[in-house]
Amino acid sequence: MAAAATVYNPVGFDFSNQIRNNFLADRGIPLPKATSTGTTIVGCLFKDGIVLGADTRATEGEIVADKNCEKIHYITESIRCCGAGTAADTEFTTAMISSNMELHALSTGRKPRVVTAMTMLKQYLFRYQGHVGAALVLGGVDATGPHLFTIHPHGSTDKLPYVTMGSGSLAAMAVFEAQWKPSMTREEALDLVNAAISAGIFNDLGSGSNVDACVITATKTDMLRNFVKPNERVTKERTYGFRRGTTAFTKEEIRNLVVHEEIIGVRDDAMDVDGS
Amino acid sequence: MEALSVDIGRLKSGEVNLGTSIMAVQFKDGVIIGADSRTTTGAYIANRVTDKLTYVHDRIYCCRSGSAADTQAVADIVHYYLQMYKQHMGREPSVHTAASLFQNICYQNKDALSAGIIVAGWDKEDGPSVYNIPLGGGIFRQPWAIGGSGSTYVYGYCDATYQEGWGKDETIEFVKNTLSLAMARDGSSGGVIRMCVITEGGVERLFVPGDRLPKFWQGQEVIGKTFKAAADTEMIVEG
Amino acid sequence: MTSIGTGYDLSASTYSPDGRIFQVEYASKAVDNSGTTIGLRVKDGIVLAVEKLVHSKLLVPGASNRRIQTIDKHIGLATAGYLADGRHLANRARSEASNFREFYHSPPQVKDVTERLGQYVQVYTLYSSVRPFGVSTILGGVDKTGPNLYVVEPSGVFFGYHGAAVGKGRQLAKAELEKLKLAELSTREAVFEVARIIHLVHEDNKEKEFELEMSWIGAETQGIFLPVPKDLHQEAEEKAKAALDNFE
Repeated sequence: MAAAATVYNPVGFDFSNQIRNNFLADRGIPLPKATSTGTTIVGCLFKDGIVLGADTRATEGEIVADKNCEKIHYITESIRCCGAGTAADTEFTTAMISSNMELHALSTGRKPRVVTAMTMLKQYLFRYQGHVGAALVLGGVDATGPHLFTIHPHGSTDKLPYVTMGSGSLAAMAVFEAQWKPSMTREEALDLVNAAISAGIFNDLGSGSNVDACVITATKTDMLRNFVKPNERVTKERTYGFRRGTTAFTKEEIRNLVVHEEIIGVRDDAMDVDGS
Repeated sequence: MEALSVDIGRLKSGEVNLGTSIMAVQFKDGVIIGADSRTTTGAYIANRVTDKLTYVHDRIYCCRSGSAADTQAVADIVHYYLQMYKQHMGREPSVHTAASLFQNICYQNKDALSAGIIVAGWDKEDGPSVYNIPLGGGIFRQPWAIGGSGSTYVYGYCDATYQEGWGKDETIEFVKNTLSLAMARDGSSGGVIRMCVITEGGVERLFVPGDRLPKFWQGQEVIGKTFKAAADTEMIVEG
Repeated sequence: MTSIGTGYDLSASTYSPDGRIFQVEYASKAVDNSGTTIGLRVKDGIVLAVEKLVHSKLLVPGASNRRIQTIDKHIGLATAGYLADGRHLANRARSEASNFREFYHSPPQVKDVTERLGQYVQVYTLYSSVRPFGVSTILGGVDKTGPNLYVVEPSGVFFGYHGAAVGKGRQLAKAELEKLKLAELSTREAVFEVARIIHLVHEDNKEKEFELEMSWIGAETQGIFLPVPKDLHQEAEEKAKAALDNFE
């Protein structure tokens, strides 16, 4: 009877932890924060297509959670998407839209368009009223040409020839505003994207580590993972490990932690299966 | 009557804002609509060349102010409705119909939306017309309408300047001047001026770059003189 | 009907081998037995008229079961066939019209309501669980495109007409309608014509009493669908009877 009572769950929402959580918040212990990609992501139009760029730092508060994460997500072969904001949200929204774009391509029998991905993303984000914290740079080339969009977490979109997002967007935008020009070559565009991301890496605390880039043209997509690594860790000049034997000991005992079990075999004629 | 400007407090935190100057004016052969190009997130300009003049049907456009996400979503839905209207009924929707669709959405979702929209265009029944749909989801037909945070600065100018019976060129000048004045006074408005001329014959887009805006009194002389005087005094002190 | 008794007429969801749906055809039969209903689209308006057969002398005249009904301010509807089905369709047409008004903040055109009503009627020809409507519906009204007249049949199809007649006396009525110059007639003149035609077609069905029901819309009614006023109604009916005597 008592067991049944503990198993029983009343219907409806359970708000019992709300009081506790508010109490803890008042005492200065807030709820844990989601991993966010305090990020620099950029996109840039050039003569033959789009270059996307991203740094590779993921943070949890002031802790670097991942020093070399991937922020340029696959949507389709010729459409890619950089994500800033809540890492889980950017990861899962882009994965879901990528999946839906594949199904869309299969059902229409055509190469999907960048506006299609953009519309799917903005309608999804709008539905969640900003609670899905994904700030995206979407770029790609389709039958109608190259396209570059930013998508904000509440679902608004902008179409521009050069865009930046994330905490390092101001630093990166400063580079674009000073140096971007129409119909650049692939090399010029890659250099500019590298400069913009580097500005984020070196001037924004939320961004860091390496530069990822992705060049999308009508014929080919090049994912340049760790395109530039300006923060390679050098080997230490000295080692700080203790020499073997530094600490004296009085006893040595080695225990076998593997459990041995004796197995008793079942007799061959024990089971009568056919019941005859 | 409630305020027509955008109440910033209604926006969700971090939301992209069209703290805007928008306008639509009806004239003999059509309507002129116009807008600045600034989109902000807090103090940052997220887009300095935004297009706030949004196509919803062949001869019907809307000017968007308020939350970028909300107004884009609403405009997309109305755009879809008008496409369906054309296919179902086999005729062009009227501006009034388009405005009513906006109004339905804005009124029914008034608690969730911050969208101040001006709908304008040309149709066979009424010729040119302008509808204002402010924050609460009301609908008002007006010969001219202004909206967004910048509009509060130029109501007086519009009241004093607007006259019935204008042609295309006079109306364009009126829109251009009004928006320049609003953009000069409102920090949330700025950039370039985009305009559309919508007539029976088609839609013509006009563009005024940020360095070619009509200039009014800028106060250079007064500030220049006082500044110079102050500088002179300091020079003497330093010297 | 060659296939009677072969079992292909038991359900609206069954075709006969030669591709017919008998349940729908039977519904049309129900219409053919009904008192005649006619509609006229003239220069500046619409007139609808119904020969409402009175099956008992005990009934109070004009008290119940109107067969001409108002759908919207500017749209009216007259039915031939099962009265109750006609009322149901009128209610549906009313809600379609009011939905349209609410959604678009503008009055629907006659065609808009007709299309939606046609779709609704058609759905009742698809399932074995329902019976197709035993009515033909004449919808008439004046919208911004001018006067419009449509007939929705039990199958769900609809056609636009200058003059329409359904029910028992439709053949004779149509012959009379074809003689008229409908595009030149005024709405007031049309009232006299419909009254005359209804009285004429009733000649073949004289053993039963009938009431003449007439409604109209045009410049004279300020674009509102209304019953024909008493004095005009009386005048038209007297003239119709006089014409009939001369005819004989």
